This record gives sequence, C-alpha cells and structure tokens, in this order.
Amino acid sequence: MSEGTVQSLSRIRARAIKGFLRQLLGHGGAQLGLVCLVFFVAVAAMPNILVGPLQTAITATGDFLAPPSGQHLLGTDDVGRDVLNLVAHGARISLTIALLATVISLIVGTIVGITAGYFGGWVDVWLMRLTDFFFVVPSFVLALVITPVVLEVMGRGGEILGFRPSLFVIIVVIGLTSWAFIARVIRSQTLSLKERTFVDRARIAGSSDTSIMVRHILPNLVPQIAANGALVVANAIYIETSLSFLGLGDPLQPSWGTLLSLAQRAGAASVGAWWYLGAPGICVLMVSLAFVLIGNALDDTFNPRRRVIP
Amino acid sequence: MPDNADILRLENLQVSFPMQSGVFDSILGRPKGVVRAVDGINLNVNRGEIVALVGESGSGKTTVGRVITKLVQPTGGRLLFDGEDMTTTHGFSTLRPYRHRVQMIFQDAYQALNPRHTVFDAVAEPLRSLRLVENRAQLTERVSEALSTAGLNPPQEFFARFPHELSGGQRQRVVVAGALVVKPDFIVADEPVSMLDVSIRAQILQALIDLRDKYRLALLFITHDLPLAWLIADRIAVMYLGRVVEIGSADDITLYPRHPYTVALRNSTPQVRRDAGSGGIQALQGEVPSAARVPKGCRFHPRCPLAFDRCRQEEPSAIEVGPQHLSACWLAK
Repeated sequence: MSEGTVQSLSRIRARAIKGFLRQLLGHGGAQLGLVCLVFFVAVAAMPNILVGPLQTAITATGDFLAPPSGQHLLGTDDVGRDVLNLVAHGARISLTIALLATVISLIVGTIVGITAGYFGGWVDVWLMRLTDFFFVVPSFVLALVITPVVLEVMGRGGEILGFRPSLFVIIVVIGLTSWAFIARVIRSQTLSLKERTFVDRARIAGSSDTSIMVRHILPNLVPQIAANGALVVANAIYIETSLSFLGLGDPLQPSWGTLLSLAQRAGAASVGAWWYLGAPGICVLMVSLAFVLIGNALDDTFNPRRRVIP
Repeated sequence: MPDNADILRLENLQVSFPMQSGVFDSILGRPKGVVRAVDGINLNVNRGEIVALVGESGSGKTTVGRVITKLVQPTGGRLLFDGEDMTTTHGFSTLRPYRHRVQMIFQDAYQALNPRHTVFDAVAEPLRSLRLVENRAQLTERVSEALSTAGLNPPQEFFARFPHELSGGQRQRVVVAGALVVKPDFIVADEPVSMLDVSIRAQILQALIDLRDKYRLALLFITHDLPLAWLIADRIAVMYLGRVVEIGSADDITLYPRHPYTVALRNSTPQVRRDAGSGGIQALQGEVPSAARVPKGCRFHPRCPLAFDRCRQEEPSAIEVGPQHLSACWLAK
C-alpha cells in the first residue's frame, strides 16, 4: 500500500472516531459520567500528592470521631485518622480491583461467548452449562471458599502481581462471577453475526475458523463489549464493596468497602458519625453511577438505528 | 469459447436438511421430516462456459451454489471438479487448493462485505488466507489488478474506503474483484445483478463476459430471470423444486421450451418474444410447494395446466428432445 493510502486510511479512521466521540459527548448522561470518572481517576492516580501518605493508627493526626472541620474536611475515624485521606487512598484500591476484575470478565466472557456462538452444537451446550453454573454461583460464597485457600498457599504477607493475596482473591472472584453475563450477550450477538454473508465470503476466501472469529466477528462485537464492559465495572465496584463490607477486604489496603465495614464496626451510625459512613458510601454510589451512565451512553451511540456509520 | 472438457460435474446431487421437530412429534415418536432442497440433479459445466441456473425462489438453485462452494455438505450424489471427487472434502486447510480455483459472487454486496474492513482488506483476504503472495508489494499488485479488472479505476483510490462509502455498483465490483483476485477457474455467481440498477447491471454482466473470454473462466450464473439468463449464458438449466426439469442451449430453452414450467416461466416475463409456441399457458399460478412435501408423480403437476393422469402417478425422467436438449415431461416426446 502506498504512503498516500496509509495516510488516507488513518484519516478516515480519525474522522470516524471523531464523529463517534462527538455523538457520545452530546449525551448529557455521558458528560456527567465522564466528569465524575475523571475526578475519581485523578484522585486514585495521586492520593499521596493530594492528601499525603495513608494514615494508620500510629500516624493518625486528629481526635477520635471528630466531625468535619477546617483541618479535617471529612472528619476523623474512631482512631483519629483523617477520613478524606482514607477515602482518597480507598479510591485507588476500589477502582483497580473493579477495572482488573472487569478485564478478566471481558476476556473470559468474550472468548466463551464467541466460541459457543460460532461453533454451536455440543460446544455451545457445554460452554453454556458452564456459564449457567457461574451465573448462579454467589460471589460471596465463592470468595469465602477461595480466600482461606489462597491465604494458606501464599501466606498473608505474600504479594501476587503487586496485590496482597486477599485483594487478589477479590479480583479473581469478581472476575469469575461476572463473565457469565458477558458470555451470554456475546454469544447471542455471535449467533446472528455468523449467519451474515460476509462470514460465508470469508469461508470461501479460505479463512480458518479462528481467523473468521478474530478478524470478522470480534470487530463487530466491539460495541457490545464496550457498552456491557462499563456496566460490569459498576457491578464489580458494588460487589467489591459488599465483599469488603463483610470483612473479606484487606485492612492494610483499605478500599471503600473496607472503610464502610470499619465505620459500621466502630458504631458510626449509632453515635451519629455520618461523615465516616457517608464519605465512602457516596463515593461508591457516584462511581457506579458514572459507569452506568457511560455504559448506557455507549449503548445508545452504538445502537445501529441511531449511529452515523453503519 | 466453450470446449467439451467439463470442469464441474454434479451427479445425482442431493441436499436435504432435517426439520426441527416439535415436542409433540418427539413424544409421539413421529419421524423427523426432511426438506429436500436439492433432490438429485445432474449438471455439467465446461471450461469457459457460462451456464445459467434458472428457477423461482425455493427451487434450490442457491443451495446448489452453496454446495459447489463447499458451504453446505451434500447428502448424496457426487460433486466432481476437474475430474476430482470433492463430495466429502471438508476442513479449511484441505479445501485450500479448491478455494483457490472456485470462488463466488454474492447477490447482496452490502451484506457480503464486512462493514469494518476496507476495500483493500476485503479483496486481499483470499490472497492472505490461501497464502498466494509472498510480500506486501505482490499483495498490493494483485489487489490493484483485480480492482481494475472489476472496473474500479484507479484502484488506489478505493483501497482505504469502507463499504458504506461506496455506491451499490462499486460494492458489487469489490465483491467481483474479491472473487477474481485468486484467478479462479470457476465462479458461482448467485444473482449478481438482481440488486443493481439496470445501467450498472449491463456493465457488470459485460465485465463477467469479458472475463470468460479473457481467462476461459467457467461461470454458473444463478438467476430467477430467464431473459437475463438467455442474454449471458451458453446453456440454461431450469430448476423446479430441487430438480432440473429442462436443460439445453440458451436459445432452445427460451425460444423452443419443451417443459410446461419453462414455458410458464417465459410467459411470466414480458420481455421475451411471444412468437414461439406457448401452448396456451399464461402466467404461473400459485407458489412452489414446500420441499418438505414434494408432490407425488411429476413434481410440477399441481400447477401444470397440461397435467393428466400419468403425471399424478409417475415422475418423468429427463428425455432428449433435441441436440443437448433434455426435458423431464411426459409430453416432451
């Protein structure tokens, strides 16, 4: 391909992406979601610069359960730690867990969904029964079963890919329990795509099954993967919070759920320490909402009846 | 021009699909029904020859094309290509040499092109999959050549375009280029012009005829349009409900048809001259019966105005009514 063609090809791609972004950003919900998300990602990216290093009971700077003031904008907890400091550091843990778990579930879900939909027959039957199994396994029970095993194998102090074992378990558990939904969506879309004439044409062109799945079907699934991926992140944050709230989190790397759990154990609700419960709670709510809004906006933008490029 | 070495031969080819049976049928132990889409057809195509396969929707003509391109496995009979038995060959790697020689042009070019692939990628796909080129320069050269043969000039202009940026005619030319790029010996063209404007039709048809003359390409031209078949084909095979009911030279079939179905087809199209004997048949009544319940006797008898007792009891076999002209009708003698 000549130099000029390559240039015009990238120009066409750039134009398509620009058009897509313009349409996405024209969506009120997407704007709100993106602003919210950018804010939390910025906080998660540099908590040390914004609020200083993570405080512990030893390095705590305030009184016990002091209400919000000029010095502690979000008050303090039952050992005198600054809640703003904890929430900012919690953002990093919560978002990382949610995003990594989503990546796992998107990869597993897409592979299982495409394979089941494309090959059909007994491959489809068995993969879908497996999917059904993971669809109904409660994430709490799975986490409760896996956590002690992993801790036994790795030891409490070990690290897997930079994560302490209990966080790693949470990532794997969320990943394992949320791919089933993706697999079902991808399978149904693959069932319709594989009947399209361009798949017949690819077969006559001598393409292998793998090449048809990767080069023909997968690119046409990008809208479904993107839109549902955003919804899976929201769900992952929610599951992470619930698991940590039940005490499966790691107190040394506290996420928002861990904070909620600590607040509840400190009796924050009964002594009226609303800032201790409210701060992490509202963060969870806002991030989940941001992802749901973005997911819905992506879904709308990719909707064939509304999109510019067919 | 055609010579008599046939490149493709179908011998008693059959394709049947099992029908989905309901819950009640399985409880009551009723046998599963089958749809006989292609019910034993014999057909041969010579090198450099254009044979048209004509029939209504539901006659099984598209299934024949899908069997030849190995998208559907036949359930009986034989498929011989250049003397080699390809009936049961399957698997993409074993089929590579066959794919290199047999290609297909689709009816709906918009559906046949992946919306996310550029024209270059679409045309280059067979070259890459069949490993026919060694480097990028060769690939670009072959793609350019195919695009300009298909009438897209200058080819470089089209490389980076996406299907939705092309007109209907241009899209069809891309599909033609994608079939030509491997330099095949045989092309199945499934209604290649039925979705196009009349003016573009003529250009595409002319391009196909030129290719035949230039490369001695053989074509199976599948269409429902008898006048169109007469225009492009050397021979015409008329299909009805999974069988070839009449086959002969294009002139014999359109001007001197010997099967009532062919006569009816011809009379259903206003363009054809009406001076040849039409046997008093007017336009066809009703629709093709379901291939799951083929009528007893001659399969055309429920719609045939000339049907008599024998037609309801016995199925006629093809008999020679002229040189290279066969008709499956009791009245053809």
